[in-house]
Amino acid sequence: MKKNKTMIAVFLTPAVLMFVLVFLYPILRTILMSFFKIEGITDSMTKWQFTGFANYSKLASTSLFRISMWNLFRIWLIGGLVVMSLALLFAVILTSGIRFKSFFKAMIYLPNVVSAVALATMWLQYVYSPKFGLLKNVFSAMGLKYLSKVQWLDNDHKFMALLVAYCFGMVGYHMLIFASGIERIGEDYYEAATLDGANKVNQFRYITLPLLKGVFKTNITMWSVTSVGFFVWSQLFSTVTADTQTITPMVYMYMMIFGAGNSMTERNAGLGAAIGVLLSICVVAVFLLCNKLIKEDDLEF
Amino acid sequence: MKRRFMGIMLSAVMAAGLLAGCAGGASTATTAETTAGGAATDAPKETAAGGGEGLIYWSMWEATEPQGQAIQMAIDKFTADTGVKVDVQFKGRTGIREGLQPALDAGTNIDLFDEDIDRVNTTWGQYLMDLEDLVKTSGYEANANAGLIKACREVGEGTLKSIPYQPNVFAFFYNQTIFDEAGIKEVPKTWEELDAACQKIKDAGYTPITCDDAYITSMFGYHMSRLLGEQGTEAVVKEGKWDDPAVLKTAQAYEDFAQKGYFSETIASNVWPAGQNQELAMGTAAMYLNGSWLPNEVKDMAGEDFKWGCFSYPALDGGKDGTNASNYGAQVLAINKNTKNGENAFKLIEYITQGEFDKKMSEMSMGIPADSRNAEWPAQLASVKPVMESLSVRYPWAAGAEANADLTPIIKENFMKLCGGSITATGFVDALKAAGK
Repeated sequence: MKKNKTMIAVFLTPAVLMFVLVFLYPILRTILMSFFKIEGITDSMTKWQFTGFANYSKLASTSLFRISMWNLFRIWLIGGLVVMSLALLFAVILTSGIRFKSFFKAMIYLPNVVSAVALATMWLQYVYSPKFGLLKNVFSAMGLKYLSKVQWLDNDHKFMALLVAYCFGMVGYHMLIFASGIERIGEDYYEAATLDGANKVNQFRYITLPLLKGVFKTNITMWSVTSVGFFVWSQLFSTVTADTQTITPMVYMYMMIFGAGNSMTERNAGLGAAIGVLLSICVVAVFLLCNKLIKEDDLEF
Repeated sequence: MKRRFMGIMLSAVMAAGLLAGCAGGASTATTAETTAGGAATDAPKETAAGGGEGLIYWSMWEATEPQGQAIQMAIDKFTADTGVKVDVQFKGRTGIREGLQPALDAGTNIDLFDEDIDRVNTTWGQYLMDLEDLVKTSGYEANANAGLIKACREVGEGTLKSIPYQPNVFAFFYNQTIFDEAGIKEVPKTWEELDAACQKIKDAGYTPITCDDAYITSMFGYHMSRLLGEQGTEAVVKEGKWDDPAVLKTAQAYEDFAQKGYFSETIASNVWPAGQNQELAMGTAAMYLNGSWLPNEVKDMAGEDFKWGCFSYPALDGGKDGTNASNYGAQVLAINKNTKNGENAFKLIEYITQGEFDKKMSEMSMGIPADSRNAEWPAQLASVKPVMESLSVRYPWAAGAEANADLTPIIKENFMKLCGGSITATGFVDALKAAGK
């Protein structure tokens, strides 16, 4: 086929232009911003003050930022393990030919449809309430006095309370991705395995899991990206002023760019940009690690 | 191999998306605002036929809030009287906080906007028109609240750049019925009197004081500022002077109250609005250090027969500040210095902040009127009037306790633990010292 260079250029230009404008320019600008002290996020470049790596070293020495990174890591790791395990479990059950499959699928996915604000209010003001909360009532009914008196939203329990509420909503989403991955695996493999005498557990271990490697990678990357952007739930669990148990780098970034709480605090969009750069590096690192650890090239089906 | 390449490309794009979220957030906002502004710039052309210039007004309220509704009524009347159309955009709190500055920087056509007195005058100070001449020619000040106008001049670096409305004051709000039942005749003016009142309330079977995570740093800030003055408190939180004896003294006062059982049992876990809704409004707790917007926020739960009382944070022995110091302020309206419609914008401000619609807003939002001719305050706020009038020293938010964004969450965490009784006063001081390192 004869290549028409003009046509290639014509078709590519809009896409390239859009990419440069919408992705490349903001990225380069953000990286550049992270080396400056900038009060207002839209200040013109003439107002920027070059500070070198000062923003990065300030982040490293700020205990609140370190706390926020620690929280993010806990959300990513603990939340990730819980959500992935439950999502996989539900996906396997749902694809195993049970009755009312669509109904259960819809039920588990439902929290994704409900607004986070409504969900968080339910958890905060009802489920965890130490006065008339669901947990309090359930534990009292079971006669577990100690547990019924726990204040789920005090400093010692707030992180777990947040994590449970958040994971509750996330399972459905990852379950769907797993389920579609499992449905892609041909029935023949399972039939053959059944004939050979493999039980369900073995089928899962030797057929489903290996063939789901790619899906795992997708899920972990998606989970990492959404975790890094953890913001709304943190805000809902600590309105107005941030909380040491719920603060994440994104919340810290917001505080630095738009000011914290009701006070007029110092703003520095450069610091916010530095956080953005650090978080991006985290996501890329997780992805590269996933690529290294989970190899899917050896199987084709 | 191809797959891996695709994978790496995908991850790069994802990371790019994340980065774009940072800088791009602003740029998309700007584009959106510019378009909004662009659409809005057509408005004056339409209204030019009506005999005047159109106005574009960005408001911090939601259209459904009482304040937003009162503003809409004022605008309708203004347009009917003058023929000047107003394109009012109710942005909400976060909308205006995130969007206004990028929009102004992008040259969006916004004639006037409103927000909190401090944010407008400090964060957005560079965009404000000096209003001294307009105020002088219109004689606006004759009926305005002198204290608030003075506060506006103070934060406006000596000149008036904003007009206050919806005044508010930060103080202890209490349930008068519980006070009566406990036999408390007078509001506490000193810490000892507050102690005695709490004991009586506790004996009567109620929780003396409750709070929520959103406001609890204020208790720390007010106590510190009563002892050191607001500047002193700010110095402590900004420069990490946690060795200052006032910090331990404050912590000890609260440790003492916690030990005496004056705080709500759930104070360490109250996430706003649990304390104000489930305890104060429900009549199980007596006092809450909060702003004068509180009665409006809980009116549906508290009911019409709820009798509100109010007193300024008590004075302390040997302290620098007395009960005449507190955070008081207002929302303010300001005019963009680049506007061509300054006079019309100011006229609209007069409609909103004085006379009929100031009264309407006060009634509808259960708020304090800004016009001194509207002498009648909503019944629920009757007890706030003497407090407001007694104030002469103005604190910023939380009396300076939240001046250091890096420390606020740590102060909050430890102060909640202190009030909940899980740490001691020295534990509180140690935790903050450690956080500063």
